[in-house]
Amino acid sequence: MSRIISDIKSYGKMYMRSKVGAFFTFVFPILLILMFGAIYSTGGDQKVTLPVQNLDDGPHSKLFLSILNSTGAVNIEEIAPTENLTAYFKDNSLTMALVIPRGFSDQVNYSINTSLSQSANVILYGDPTQTTVSIAQAVIGATAVAFNDVLLNSTEIVYSEVQPPPATESFKFLDFFLPGVIGITVMTNCLFAMTSICAEYRQRGFFKLLATTRLKKHEWLISKYLWYSLILLASLLTTVAVAKLAFKIEANLTPMALLMIPVGAFVFTSMGMLIGVAVKDPESGVALANAVGFPMMFLSGSFFPLDVMPGFLKAIAAVLPLTYFNNGLRDTMVSGNTTAAMLNAGILLAVGLVFFALSSKLMSWKEK
Amino acid sequence: MSSVGAETMVGENVIEVTDLSKRYPPDIKAVDGVTFSIRGGQVFSMLGPNGAGKTTTVEILEGLRNPTAGEAKIFDVDVTKDYSALRDRVGILPQNFEPFDELKPWEALEYWAGLYDRKMSRKDIDRLLELVNLTERKNSISKKLSGGEKRKLGFALSLINEPELLFLDEPTTGLDPKARRDIWHMIQDIRKKGTTVFLTTHYLDEAERLSDDVAIMHKGKIITRGGPQELITKYGKMNVIVLVGAGSVALQEIRRRGIDATEEEGDVLVPVKDPAEMRVIFQKLSGIEFKVRDMYTRRQTLEDVFLELVGAKMEEGVLKE
Repeated sequence: MSRIISDIKSYGKMYMRSKVGAFFTFVFPILLILMFGAIYSTGGDQKVTLPVQNLDDGPHSKLFLSILNSTGAVNIEEIAPTENLTAYFKDNSLTMALVIPRGFSDQVNYSINTSLSQSANVILYGDPTQTTVSIAQAVIGATAVAFNDVLLNSTEIVYSEVQPPPATESFKFLDFFLPGVIGITVMTNCLFAMTSICAEYRQRGFFKLLATTRLKKHEWLISKYLWYSLILLASLLTTVAVAKLAFKIEANLTPMALLMIPVGAFVFTSMGMLIGVAVKDPESGVALANAVGFPMMFLSGSFFPLDVMPGFLKAIAAVLPLTYFNNGLRDTMVSGNTTAAMLNAGILLAVGLVFFALSSKLMSWKEK
Repeated sequence: MSSVGAETMVGENVIEVTDLSKRYPPDIKAVDGVTFSIRGGQVFSMLGPNGAGKTTTVEILEGLRNPTAGEAKIFDVDVTKDYSALRDRVGILPQNFEPFDELKPWEALEYWAGLYDRKMSRKDIDRLLELVNLTERKNSISKKLSGGEKRKLGFALSLINEPELLFLDEPTTGLDPKARRDIWHMIQDIRKKGTTVFLTTHYLDEAERLSDDVAIMHKGKIITRGGPQELITKYGKMNVIVLVGAGSVALQEIRRRGIDATEEEGDVLVPVKDPAEMRVIFQKLSGIEFKVRDMYTRRQTLEDVFLELVGAKMEEGVLKE
């Protein structure tokens, strides 16, 4: 145990003095929180700018635009009917524009008079990769429904609205986002650091040097795991404190959330060491860690919900440890479901044990 | 920790190597059936060019590589079977040693002591730093140390467990002359305290100056073995009187007086087969009139032995055919 403590003490000094490690442990998650907090803290107050070219100029197109404007979800920017839309798109680098075609009002009248035999259309041109286009599409759809109600003098019977899950009514976007940030911090610190440490130690002869002492491989691995557990717990507390102070988040820092940190550190340090077994120099270490870490970052639900992913990506996400770490943290911090969090922690522990055993077995400090 | 370096079994064999081989695919013989033993309390130098097999041999003895064949024992313990029994008795300074960048020398020593389950007081650490002349740099981050200072720190780390046997793998390679001399003094001090030193080097002057016993290694084999003077006597030709700038006219006159001589780049070289003849030859030369810029006696060195045995000179570990 004294050798492990000695290694932790010295590694801790080296880690904090290198500044890179301290940046990714403390500054990086706080930057993410502040950045995303600033973007989303205003909630639904932000409007999407929607350029509109009204080629009709009849009463119905004016009514449609009036209803669209009253939703409060869009800022309408008029495009003169004389503009060539293709050229206008190009010249103004637009991502979308709504066009009300010529004869729209006549078509609406015709449709009413012929008992809706042929509908009148508005057209939204837009880049499908932009989320603002999806938002505009939803708003225009809702506007069309309201427009029909007014024309037909009918009443909407079914309403739908989105509310946070029960017991989290006061939660903001950042409360749901925070577990993902913590997940990324734990994963990047442990996985990337351990892979590059293994490469550096091998290239600079530190493993050989350590092999001449009484320190055992598994003791070195345990020392690194304990260090990252401690430092990431400190990171978690700092990040949550900043998020609470800056954005008054309500997500709970539960005992289970604190317990998830050493569990995550265990699985990701072991995984980093296992990758480190295969790398010979820091360059290949960084490349390999990126190849594993970045897809995991995006496929594990840290930034994007898993539900919107295609089936094969969901299948990949299901075997990524970060998915279970994020889920576990959300279970305990957002949903308050300790049992589900424990199940995720159990899966991570099992995976971590396999990684740890493999890296202990395969890692060699000797030359061949 | 009371002293630096523990006494070994002086006079007894501390290392015994028998038919040791190390091969790499496809069929590279890095070490080719070497057999030798080393007596305690001595400085043993394994001398040879880069690629001779010195580091491979020493790393097998340090438990860092496995041999393909043969046996290697330290203090009668088979290094391939139970190296843990040796860790407290052996100190190691690996080739191209680099310290941990972000640790200060005193922190590195404290760390290393911890890895040997040893408690070192600040006084013990200061004493060790003083031994390697790093007292003034003990609070500098290691990455800011010079090459020589880094090597001295490595030297101090290798002494942390008060070893009976110390492996120094090319400890002065790439260092400036002053740093080299400092390391030499440290090795001499350690030897005086009774520690056995296994030194690998490609510096012939280093081996000659420090060693009690030298083995010249070439192409994976030990091609000769003995004390530096013993090897010089055995393989060196003879001492030579060098008449600097004497030229061909002086050469003819010297030869006319019955003295054997040759010319080399304008200098006249007079070989002295037996040191007892030296006075007689000087007397003969003093009776000859010739112009000379300088005159000195060139002693035979290990360099001459190496040239004789390998057929090439060695500069910075590289053979110059």
